[in-house]
Amino acid sequence: MHKLPITNKLGFYEIRMASIGGFGANVAGKMLAEAGVLKQGYNGSNFSSYGSEKKGSPVSAFVRFCAPDVNVRVNAPVTEPHMLVIFLEAIAKMPGMLSGVTEETIVIFNTHKDVDAARDYLGLACGTLVVVDAMKIAVEEKTRVNTALLGTMAAVSGFLSQDALKEMMRETFGKKYPQTVPANIKTFERGASEYVSKKFANDGKYRPTPFSRSGQKLGYLNQPIGGVIVAAGNSMFKDLSASRSGYVPVLNRSKCTSCGECDITCPDYCFEWKEEVGKKGKPEMVLQKIHYQYCKGCLRCVEICKFEALTTHVEYEVKQSVIDSGYVNDIKEIA
Amino acid sequence: MSQATSEIKTVKPGTVEQVVDFLSGNEMAATVVAQINYHLMGYYPITPSTEVAEYLDEMFANGKHGVRMIPADGEHGAAGICYGASTAGGRVFNATSANGLLFSIEQLPVQSGTRMPMVLNLVCRSVSGPLDIRGDHSDLYSTLNLGWVIFCAKDPQATYDLIAVATKVAEHMDVRLPAIVANDGFFTSHQKRRVYRFAADKDLQDFVGPFKYIHSSVDPNNPTTFGPYMNDPDQINNKKQLSLAMAASVNVIDAVYDEWAKLSGRRYNRLETYKMEDAEVAILILNSAADTAMEAVDTMRAQGKKVGVLYPTVLRPFPAEELRKACKNVKALLVADRADVYGAQGGAMTLDAKSALKDDTNNKTLVMSRIYGLGGKDFLDLDAIEMFNLALAAAAKGKVDVGYDYIGAEPGDPSYSIPVKNAPISKAASTPGIVSVTKDAATGQLVVKGVKQRELTKLPTRIAPGHGACPGCGIFPNISTFLKGIEGNVVMLWHTGCGMVVTTGYPSTAFNITYIHNLFQNGAPTLSGALEMFKERQRRGEIPAGEEITFIMVTGDGGLDIGLGPTLGTAIRNHKMIVLEYDNQGYMNTGHQLSFATPLGHKTSTSNVGPKEQGKTFHHKDSAQLFAATHIPYVFTATEGNYKDLIRKAAKAQWYARNEGLVFGKLFSVCPLNWGHPDEIGNDLSQLVVDTNFFPLYEVEHGITTLNHDPEEKGVKKDVTEWLGKMAKTKHLLKPENKPLVEQFRVEVERRFQRIKAMSQHPLL
Repeated sequence: MHKLPITNKLGFYEIRMASIGGFGANVAGKMLAEAGVLKQGYNGSNFSSYGSEKKGSPVSAFVRFCAPDVNVRVNAPVTEPHMLVIFLEAIAKMPGMLSGVTEETIVIFNTHKDVDAARDYLGLACGTLVVVDAMKIAVEEKTRVNTALLGTMAAVSGFLSQDALKEMMRETFGKKYPQTVPANIKTFERGASEYVSKKFANDGKYRPTPFSRSGQKLGYLNQPIGGVIVAAGNSMFKDLSASRSGYVPVLNRSKCTSCGECDITCPDYCFEWKEEVGKKGKPEMVLQKIHYQYCKGCLRCVEICKFEALTTHVEYEVKQSVIDSGYVNDIKEIA
Repeated sequence: MSQATSEIKTVKPGTVEQVVDFLSGNEMAATVVAQINYHLMGYYPITPSTEVAEYLDEMFANGKHGVRMIPADGEHGAAGICYGASTAGGRVFNATSANGLLFSIEQLPVQSGTRMPMVLNLVCRSVSGPLDIRGDHSDLYSTLNLGWVIFCAKDPQATYDLIAVATKVAEHMDVRLPAIVANDGFFTSHQKRRVYRFAADKDLQDFVGPFKYIHSSVDPNNPTTFGPYMNDPDQINNKKQLSLAMAASVNVIDAVYDEWAKLSGRRYNRLETYKMEDAEVAILILNSAADTAMEAVDTMRAQGKKVGVLYPTVLRPFPAEELRKACKNVKALLVADRADVYGAQGGAMTLDAKSALKDDTNNKTLVMSRIYGLGGKDFLDLDAIEMFNLALAAAAKGKVDVGYDYIGAEPGDPSYSIPVKNAPISKAASTPGIVSVTKDAATGQLVVKGVKQRELTKLPTRIAPGHGACPGCGIFPNISTFLKGIEGNVVMLWHTGCGMVVTTGYPSTAFNITYIHNLFQNGAPTLSGALEMFKERQRRGEIPAGEEITFIMVTGDGGLDIGLGPTLGTAIRNHKMIVLEYDNQGYMNTGHQLSFATPLGHKTSTSNVGPKEQGKTFHHKDSAQLFAATHIPYVFTATEGNYKDLIRKAAKAQWYARNEGLVFGKLFSVCPLNWGHPDEIGNDLSQLVVDTNFFPLYEVEHGITTLNHDPEEKGVKKDVTEWLGKMAKTKHLLKPENKPLVEQFRVEVERRFQRIKAMSQHPLL
């Protein structure tokens, strides 16, 4: 058993993984903790953020390690991580993502960006930034990003045993999906080698992000009594783009008949309609656009569309201007 | 449940061999119950205790224990199952939380008053409302006067240990009382820790011994009357007996704690002390937060502060004598309560502590109360340090300045209010006059015209985008399509469930109209109350005569299990409102446990698949026929896949709710996440269930049934396996060994369909 490279005042090495439900952060945290405690002999704990976990909603997993004779007596989430793992670019800019990061923190970021561009994208003040294109590895190996990221975590941690983690993966996946074990091991190994790491000092380029609990805007002085909400439909302020898992529907207005079936099947109220004067001079409802802010990429609308006016595309191949406008007039416009 | 077993390490800190593992509180609760091999568990899922039943069911499916698992219709029913099972002379277990506990609470004094031992794992969570799923002790504090022995387990290890101990204490002939083992929701229930469990089940079974009953309800040779009618002068004597048993439990607990210490190497005391020997100030605190407070003690001791922590492992009977001893030289005691007793200037443990110390006339300890961590707010060592500093200040001053207060409540910024996004939907905008319903004078039938989905996009949506449902969720296509057939003002009430949770996470709401949420089982009565108040105020002239509101309640199939009785009662009263059930065949909001609507053989987290179990063991509930039997004017079934039919039925529903009375509609609603199918095929699945006859489309008007779609007649009939093959939850059913099970399902589906068809052909049926 290696000595933990760094611990906080209570004796813990602390890890926070930030993800979206469905990307396997919980399983990764569990395997990591089990490997550390049961295979490597550390003491520790593991849990996930608690809420009503739906697919596509933000989730965090936490792991703490300490020496075998140290008691685990803290149960709150990790606020000042020694290792922060960001599972996908889409969540990287969520408020509080970098909270508690210091110069001692290793930030592992699943991105295809190079390490300097990734720092700028995150606005990272300091710390060791490790970039790995886990999505590419996962797509190529037909696995998920979580095992690639586990590989990177083990490689850069200085104490997590790659053999112990591989053994844990064989046990975890072997029980229910034995056929997936080799691909997951390969994904892990690629994650452990295909990363780039760079240490950034606090050079003043970006503001540090210390952990803070204060500053809640709504409190007992101004929260309407009884917990009522008197701001109808204010969920419209939200941006749910991060819920998508790589694919988007694209509306080609030249093929659209405004039949209205997409509006029936869309769970997320993404379609905007407007009354226009039709060919016969009468007013009629015409489909205008998709609001991608609310689109979770379920592709129900593509499935129901009889006119090929809605088609499926890999999101990163679709131009930002199309996402912004919400439609094309010719499918060639997407690239 | 995942137990890492490949490389088993064992230890022997006591006299028995134990396995080193890494498990959560819920996993440990399930493990100890499985190892003891309790006779029976009656349960109903509620976060965060749900996993206990899930793990036990999964272990059962794999032949790991023989505990008979009974899913109830609600916690009240679960407590009833447990009570009945207790009378029949066996070992009974239950796990619940928060409102589940409160829903069952009237059963609990019966369990103790009639002296039936059992163990309830209370996985503590904040009690509604507003609804909060995270951990505090507001549920636990509701149990203090129920006559149950109460153990408090601060971590997963203690959960295991104290369930074993509680089993033995409860069943002891000097006690014969039920026992609660309370641990902290999420902080303990969902947090994995390094733990030790007995290697051999037999060691645990030898420790608790065989269950001994005094009276049994299933022994014909000894006819016994359980639960007579007992007024004065006898009831007070029954309670005196209970009080004596509670007092007697003290010695029993101490003896069993001794025995457990020898066996396991883990010593428990009714009141635990940490660095109290020379402590001048102390915090009295419960469960997981006690651990955090101990970290703070070490930090402050390093700075030379004489501080300590006290935490009970037994809350009833309260360790008063032990507290008096521990506080002999304590100058100031801060009692930290994770629930308030509003108006009492302190939480329940503050009141217990003050009362205990009062009995020591020499005691001079200053006592102060702080309420912390409500609704699951994290308790950090910084908070504990703040508490110690308050106590130190009081000790130094010889006086408590503020005896009772909250720690961790935020004032907020008074200049800030929640930004408003949308203006109210005007009556004119919500009444575009596209769909019309008229009564045909000749036939008496309602005729619906104008079901044009394109034109209906003009109707403002009553629900806004930005809700957090999973991609491809079936709830919103169903409910929104229904609402396209509804004109004018709408007030909606949603039962607890996915639809409710994803739309109204504070401080955000996806409702553009007025929305109400009340308890899981109580939506229909609540909405009937709102509706009747609207009418009464209208009758008194407080609301203009011309105002009209359509009242619509939305429930999942889960809400219609626990809330079936209240909803049927509302239907029988025939209020002019609409009840919609989105049936996604399980409790999806809590992680896909079986509901009574789950079909036979379907896999859920409480109907697992393994050598001993092939999914759910009984057929799906037919809620449409249950409501048809209340003789309300209109009952219908519909799916998003037949959207024109759904909009047509919505328009009729509004007509009936305006003119006659209650409407019940059952909607088939897919769940890609838990059923395991691609996000985009919801619409197709909705058609498949109709064409396999599983979900017949029909309506019942004044008792006369009309089948809207006969797949056989239309030549589109499909076998149920075409539907079952599309989902991960049913793929095991296509294996050859499950052919008889599928045949049983097919026969039931066909029987129910043919019955509806016959009703459709004969107006009298």
